[in-house]
Amino acid sequence: MLRKGLLLQAFFKKELILFRRYLHNSVGSMITLYVIFLLLVGGFQGVRALVGVGADTLEGLVVGYVLWIFMLSTYQDVWYTVRTEAQEGTLEQLYMSAHGFGWVMGAKVVAGFFTNLIMVAVLLAAALLTTGVSVNLDFWSLLPLVIGTLLGSAGIGFAVGGITLVLKRIDSYTQMVQFLLIALVGAPAGRIIWMRLLPCSYGSALINRVMVGGQNLSQIGFGHVAAMILIGVGHLLAGYGIYKFCEHRAMIQGTLGHY
Amino acid sequence: MIQVEALEKVYPGRKGQAGVKAVDNISFGVHEGELLGFLGPNGAGKTTTVKMLCGLIRPSSGRIFINGIDLLQRRISALADVSAVLEGNRNIYWRLTAQENLEFFAAVRGLNPARLRNEIGYYLKLFNLTEKRDVEARKLSRGMQQKLAIAVALISQSKVVLLDEPTLGLDVQASYEIRQLLKQIVKEQGRTVILTTHDMNVVQDACQRVIIVNEGRIVANDSVHNLLDLFKVKVYRITVQGGLTAEQRQALLAMEEVIIEEESPIQTAISVRLEESQILYRVIGVLESNHSPIESIDQDQNNFERVFLQILEGGSQGA
Repeated sequence: MLRKGLLLQAFFKKELILFRRYLHNSVGSMITLYVIFLLLVGGFQGVRALVGVGADTLEGLVVGYVLWIFMLSTYQDVWYTVRTEAQEGTLEQLYMSAHGFGWVMGAKVVAGFFTNLIMVAVLLAAALLTTGVSVNLDFWSLLPLVIGTLLGSAGIGFAVGGITLVLKRIDSYTQMVQFLLIALVGAPAGRIIWMRLLPCSYGSALINRVMVGGQNLSQIGFGHVAAMILIGVGHLLAGYGIYKFCEHRAMIQGTLGHY
Repeated sequence: MIQVEALEKVYPGRKGQAGVKAVDNISFGVHEGELLGFLGPNGAGKTTTVKMLCGLIRPSSGRIFINGIDLLQRRISALADVSAVLEGNRNIYWRLTAQENLEFFAAVRGLNPARLRNEIGYYLKLFNLTEKRDVEARKLSRGMQQKLAIAVALISQSKVVLLDEPTLGLDVQASYEIRQLLKQIVKEQGRTVILTTHDMNVVQDACQRVIIVNEGRIVANDSVHNLLDLFKVKVYRITVQGGLTAEQRQALLAMEEVIIEEESPIQTAISVRLEESQILYRVIGVLESNHSPIESIDQDQNNFERVFLQILEGGSQGA
């Protein structure tokens, strides 16, 4: 387990080094996301003035946007890593790790979670200040819900990463996943029960109950939380299963490290 | 150290097309502390074989044992003793420094970088990278990047190091430095190194044994010394002032052992393989027939490039 800790530490260090070394790029990405948010809010307020929807929906927009960014970053931490490492020639080195590639990607996702958390926290603060709305930031209630939600986007990342290993150069299709993630964030899983089985949707609904509805974990009910995490684990395993299947195909075709 | 048994790889064909056999039933062993050259023309199956040894390509049939561990059954355990440089200078992170690359990949290989300070310092020094330790890899020369990639492979302390074209694209100086380093690593650390290369200087200078593959099959498997001996042919290079007459050219080309290497009105160079002693006299006789002034007669040294080409042209011997 100590060796796994060292692996995690190495990925943390790498993330931190690259974040600091290319700080202007990191800050630029955050400014871009913030500008997109401003455009969304501008558009939303225009629509609200026309149809007269309530102020709580703006809170939903803030929460939904920030959650979408978190999910998108997690998805990209998996898919984009596979693609970039293959493109840059380092994927094969990671495959020869003493830990196994699954652990390597796990360490990458966990390290990415913390750097994404910083980015999302800054974005959320900026969004709340800009819109003037307030949301319930109950950290200990949100932590398991966010983790459970992100398991689904990591699962999607593995599935898309696996398909990339076999088919290569499918960027135009993989970009569509970001729109799929918007749909999953917005799916009314609170009202329509079968939608809870979709990746990330159940978690998104529960996060809204905490942040917008002001509830905590005990008010939501541990049964809901456990079910949501189980579904998230299921999506992660399914995505990883697809990845392993594709990896096997790539190893037969001899295209594992190609891009 | 490595045992390969009846290894075969057929890449699946596209819809309706037959598969491509890249490796055809090859078997060989590699001893501990051996520097083995794995040679062959493009498309011979070298890289496929090396990638199968790294567990990155799945063989169609056959078995690979590394340190007695079946690679196909226990991939991670078997690979604990293997490191590789497969994509040359692309096997490192270009946005990390030399030291950061060594530390990161040590952790990926299950080692504690904090306890490897001395080793990291040692490899930076060995590869002449100490002054560049804090320079991002993208800012290093290609030769330095290549050396860093090899250092990254060595930091894992694996017993087997696989290098695919380690001197590709390097200038003479960098190529020389790398082959000296490889010899040093094998001699001082007892590592087993398998390298694929098109650079026959590397083979002749550094390798103890070579396996030559062609069309997926092993066509030669012997020590460099034995192969040079086996294909020992004295080659003489005769330089003549001026050109040749049509009759001289026709007479020389009728001899299988003769190649007219260059011909101009000023000078003509002819190489003669001395497979029987009379051939040189016959060539000189042809040249004297028209009083062509012989400027020099030099003996060419037999080199591994010529041996390699002869083996590929059909002078193969049992693997």
